[in-house]
Amino acid sequence: MSTFMRVVWIVTLPVIALLISVLFLGLFRKITARIQRRYGPPVYQPVIDLTKLLTQHSNISHGVMFDMGLIIALAGSVVTVLLIPAGGIHPLSSSGDLLVIIYVMLIPVLGMALAAGDSGNPNASLGVSRKLILGLGYEVPFLLVLLTVMTHGETTSLVNVVQMQADSILSWGVFRFPLSAIATFLILPVMLGIHPFDIVGAPQEISSGPQVEFGGKYLALATIEQALQLFIVIALFVDLFLGGAANLGTFFLKMLGVFLIGIFIGAVYPRFRIDQALRYCWKWPTLFALAGLILVMIIGG
Amino acid sequence: MIMVSILLIAFVGAGGTCLVGRGNPRFRGLVASLVAFLPLIILAFLYGRVISIDYASVPFLDIGLSLRLTPLSWFFGIAIAALGGLAIVFSISYMQGKERLNYYYSMMLLVNASMLGIVLSGDFLSFYIFWEIMSWSTYLLISYRGKQALGAGLKYIIMSIIGSSAMLLAIGSLYISYGTLEIPSLATALQGASAWYALFVLLMFTIAFGIKNAILPLHTWLPDAHSEAVSPFSAILSGILVRMGLYGLFLLMFSVLGLNTLNRLSYGAISFNLVLSWVGALTILFPIFIAVLQDDAKRLIAWSSIGHGGYMILGIGVATTLGIAGGLFHALNYAICVALLFLAVGAVEYRTGTRDLNKLGGLMKRMPITFTGALIGSMGLIGIPLTNGFISKWLIYKTLILSRYPFLAFAALIGTWGTVLYGYKLVHNVFLGQLPEQYKEIEEVPWTMRVPMIVLSGFVVLFGVLPGIPLKAISVIQTHLGMTRLETSLFGMPKAIGELNTLNIFFALLVAGLIAYAAFSASRRSRRVSQYDNYAAGARVPVGGYQHSVRFYDQADRIIRPYLRDRIDDFYGWIATQSTAFFEQLRKIYTGNINTYATWIVLFVAVLIFMGLLGWRI
Amino acid sequence: MVAPLLIAIPFLAAFAVPLFSLISKRISYYIPALALFANLVISLVLIPRVMSETIVVSIGGFPPPFCINLVVGPVGLLLAIIISLIGLLVSIYGVNYIKEGPKDKYHMLLLALLAGATGMVLTGDIFNLFVFFEILSLASYALTAYNRDRAGTEAAIKYLIQGSIGSAFILIGIAFLYGMFGTLSMADIASKVGGADPGFLFVSLALLITGFGIEAAIFPLNAWLPDAHSSAPSSVSAILSGIAIETGAYAVARILYTVFDSDGIMLLIAVVGLITLLIGEMSAFRQREDIKRLLAYSSIGQMGLILFAFGIATRAGVFAALFQLLNHMLAKSLLFLAVGYMIYRVGSKKLSAFSGLGKRMPVSSFVATIAVFSLVGLPPFAGFMSKFSVVRAALALKDPMFLWFVVLMLIATVIEAGYFFRIIQNLFFKSGNSLEEVKEAPLSCLVPISVLAALILIIGVYPQLVSGILDAAAQGLVERTAYIQYVLGVP
Repeated sequence: MSTFMRVVWIVTLPVIALLISVLFLGLFRKITARIQRRYGPPVYQPVIDLTKLLTQHSNISHGVMFDMGLIIALAGSVVTVLLIPAGGIHPLSSSGDLLVIIYVMLIPVLGMALAAGDSGNPNASLGVSRKLILGLGYEVPFLLVLLTVMTHGETTSLVNVVQMQADSILSWGVFRFPLSAIATFLILPVMLGIHPFDIVGAPQEISSGPQVEFGGKYLALATIEQALQLFIVIALFVDLFLGGAANLGTFFLKMLGVFLIGIFIGAVYPRFRIDQALRYCWKWPTLFALAGLILVMIIGG
Repeated sequence: MIMVSILLIAFVGAGGTCLVGRGNPRFRGLVASLVAFLPLIILAFLYGRVISIDYASVPFLDIGLSLRLTPLSWFFGIAIAALGGLAIVFSISYMQGKERLNYYYSMMLLVNASMLGIVLSGDFLSFYIFWEIMSWSTYLLISYRGKQALGAGLKYIIMSIIGSSAMLLAIGSLYISYGTLEIPSLATALQGASAWYALFVLLMFTIAFGIKNAILPLHTWLPDAHSEAVSPFSAILSGILVRMGLYGLFLLMFSVLGLNTLNRLSYGAISFNLVLSWVGALTILFPIFIAVLQDDAKRLIAWSSIGHGGYMILGIGVATTLGIAGGLFHALNYAICVALLFLAVGAVEYRTGTRDLNKLGGLMKRMPITFTGALIGSMGLIGIPLTNGFISKWLIYKTLILSRYPFLAFAALIGTWGTVLYGYKLVHNVFLGQLPEQYKEIEEVPWTMRVPMIVLSGFVVLFGVLPGIPLKAISVIQTHLGMTRLETSLFGMPKAIGELNTLNIFFALLVAGLIAYAAFSASRRSRRVSQYDNYAAGARVPVGGYQHSVRFYDQADRIIRPYLRDRIDDFYGWIATQSTAFFEQLRKIYTGNINTYATWIVLFVAVLIFMGLLGWRI
Repeated sequence: MVAPLLIAIPFLAAFAVPLFSLISKRISYYIPALALFANLVISLVLIPRVMSETIVVSIGGFPPPFCINLVVGPVGLLLAIIISLIGLLVSIYGVNYIKEGPKDKYHMLLLALLAGATGMVLTGDIFNLFVFFEILSLASYALTAYNRDRAGTEAAIKYLIQGSIGSAFILIGIAFLYGMFGTLSMADIASKVGGADPGFLFVSLALLITGFGIEAAIFPLNAWLPDAHSSAPSSVSAILSGIAIETGAYAVARILYTVFDSDGIMLLIAVVGLITLLIGEMSAFRQREDIKRLLAYSSIGQMGLILFAFGIATRAGVFAALFQLLNHMLAKSLLFLAVGYMIYRVGSKKLSAFSGLGKRMPVSSFVATIAVFSLVGLPPFAGFMSKFSVVRAALALKDPMFLWFVVLMLIATVIEAGYFFRIIQNLFFKSGNSLEEVKEAPLSCLVPISVLAALILIIGVYPQLVSGILDAAAQGLVERTAYIQYVLGVP
């Protein structure tokens, strides 16, 4: 990749990711509505919402960290997007491997947490506390899965992981590490914070949690950040288990597939309590992930 | 000569400060800072040099005592001197008005001096002497605050003496076996040692170093000691003093025994290094989650100290090029971050008089610099990219994965999430949320307390963006010890080692942040509102009580707490009670009855004579 | 012919005290200090001569073995120096410290005690050893009861009874020896020991060891010690703990090493020493009330350590034992002296009464801390060097059993650290008592204890100061043929 192309992709990839993820948001609302036998908003509804929020007249801030946290979170998400290979495009991947991705993924979490914490609203703090606990829940199986993949390939580079799956469909991660794939799939809704694990931003219990004090442009940026998270997690899944993709189109289709299946499963459950979610994460997904790792250790790379 | 002068300045300065303080208390802080920083300056000029000199001899043991500067000791020496100096500067305001300041400053300087002595020792007798000076001066400093600190100090010194007894045994045995205690000569001599003997020596030293570095299950002194010590000293204690254990272990493993001997210490698949790595992993796992449960800010950091010591042990336990570099680098990084955190918590305590995480909140608005320090410190502990902690953790993970230790890597990685939990808890409960009414008027701390925090924060970011600076010094250590050295550039790793380019990430984040900021600014300006202008489902926001910080992670707390009880501490406590009861029984042999006593004497003679009759001969 | 002066001066001075007290009470109190200063100077002057050759002084003009003779070897001289030094410091201390009672008798008895101690370490005649031992013991009994309180009297009587049993054993033992060899010169006995009936020899050894072992505080012969050392006036405790029991240990060592060539019993000595060490430290650990009693138990422990080192039975072991002996003498007498004034100022022997005393009596507390660190064996104080010597000597045997012994010894150190560090915390970091009235000790206390502390520090940093003479002393004890040759003059 020439430097010029790289710069071009660095600029465009986040935009593409943003579009895809906003589309997903719309789809999510539509599909959930349909499952619940409602008509639901149009798919482009999130765009309308964002535009409205960004142009709102009155914005209130609770402090420097309230502003900065959001910006940090957004920047972190964008950089994460750049680090994850998407459809053969990986403009920044030589600057960071999967380990870097794991850590860069913390930036948005912490940025949001700081912004929410500075809002001075206990609901927000409560939401953050839930978010971090939930993180503790899904990180256990998720890290095991990542370690399985990295140990198997004896690499920490995500690009290498994708390349290894390029031969045929059978070399896809989902066939090489079926247990790990199942584990990841099971925690996917937790990572995305979607139904039935929408505990963090539960509107009825804790007034949307971390976002309780967000309004106007704050809410808009927070929504964008969340949308990018959606992209990141699903893209990671595709890269890890579905062989990535040679071009953006295929990549998008694979992402869409993962996303839809995820929603269908999630939509039928009632909301979990946080301790239930924690126990959930540490039960089946962890067992699968552990079994997958042990298997890889025994069989060898 | 220059080596002796470093130690002379440090030791004589420690005593001199006391005298100056007696003469004129105003100059005390200044003199103490000078004494603390002079060795730093001298050491800085000695970068990369290897010097070895004899400074004294012990004729009845027929050995000489020597000082030796190596890249390894330089690396630790610089950290000691720098942290020590910053802690002293921080003390100037922090300790103002407290009692017995002459004592305090001389002890602080004495601790620093003895640590410098440890890293500059060229033989194990000097090492032991400085080690013990450090132990007792630390004890005197921990006990300084009285009350609960007494128990902490006693626990510390007793464990410490157990450790040094083990070390003394090993040193005595080395001396008997080889007739020398010089580190280079021992390194040669031990190459021919039997595996059992090497293991014995290593284990004995590991007990001593493990207690100092607080590895499981030898960690129990640390939480009490760290939380009861005065904050500037906690910074030294947690930042660098406990790492003397790591230094010692490193010295012994790689400088004295060497990788060849270490590789011989195995039984089947189980080797000393593997066991050590697992101990390291467990040391990460439990203490870090115990830290999450703490409500005392300093206790929280103390537990995190134990946990992060585990990363270092893990790094040098795997003993790969990356692991060793990561372990050493993490020691430095952690020292910076934890010192920063202790200073920040100290600053908060200085202004508010409490470090109870349930009683604070919102201080960010009143103490922005302290907040920034605490934030950067926590980020460094978590290992957010662009802080120094990230690089060292990355090196350790990388080598664990590539050496096929995924379970060890898992322990290390999940430890990070624990760090996220307590790091955020610390920052949130103290600095975010609502500001209690009684702290409405407090001010930022004086500049002598701000400067150390700013400097330390600067280093967190500097080493995070340009990790090549310290890694260069580490690769010099590796070269000096004859290992494969870590190739690094100023801002990341070459392709051969892995994909990491901190500078690119830095600029990516910067640009992304700027764009986000642009988007943020482009829309309508926001208006600042008071903390009581807040959503409360239509109800009035209660003044001073609208905060979620008590039992911050309640839901997880309930699930994990039962598994995180420090049973090792309970066990030691049980041993202590049992043996005290036993001593009590034993003491009763001194009945006070003269008849009994006389009987004993006669019995003693009788037994002796009986033995003679049985044929025992002189 | 200056060597006999070492014994003669304190004796004469002892008699001079009551005489001078007829003239002026005040002057008589300074006599001990003067006499011991003279002793110290003489013994220091003798160092170069003794280091090159052991001085043998025959009394009465007959050549050995037919006379009472003094053998001023490195061991004897070393101990004589320390005895005079500590004696001097204690006398300076006593001038002010002893405020009540028959003061002239105190000073007289003190001198007699020191004369006895000096005589014990310098004599070459076993009966003479017994005589000097008796002088020392009698003076000790009397001094223990000096306070004339219930505790002191009781302790003194207990001490007296046990000591008398011991004396009787010693006498019987000596009688056995005389019966077997027809001589009382230690060198002469030593030269003939090889051909004697081992059964009788063993019995007499057992009796002598037991007799002197009582003074040397060997378990289980040491039950008198906690009472006596804690009930006596502190200056007396300092002498008892810092001089008397050490001379007992010296006597045991002299008998074991020089008189009998008793290799077979050394292991027993090491074990007994170890047991004494452990029991002493454990008892001290539980002693939370009476500080002097605690120190007394700690003395038992230290004597156990010394005995253990003697039991190693190598030159290095004896070196370590003597080194430890020296350090214990310095540190323990310092502690008793410092604690003496603390008790006096606070008005209680209770540990809890000392809380926060470090602020009111900073010098005493500081100096006591140095002594404590030295006793625990922390560098850079003298105790470390000796403890390390013990470890080295024990490990040098390369005997797995002794490795375990060292482990036990180190465990005892940990226990020791446990109670001593509690005291230090009590002194400096605890508060609660109202100690406004309490003043620092007077110079007559501060000077002696500071001198001792300085010595502890100097020996710790610069062990060469004493290691030469210690090594010579160890050699003098271990190499009995050389001793026999020196005394008997046979090639």
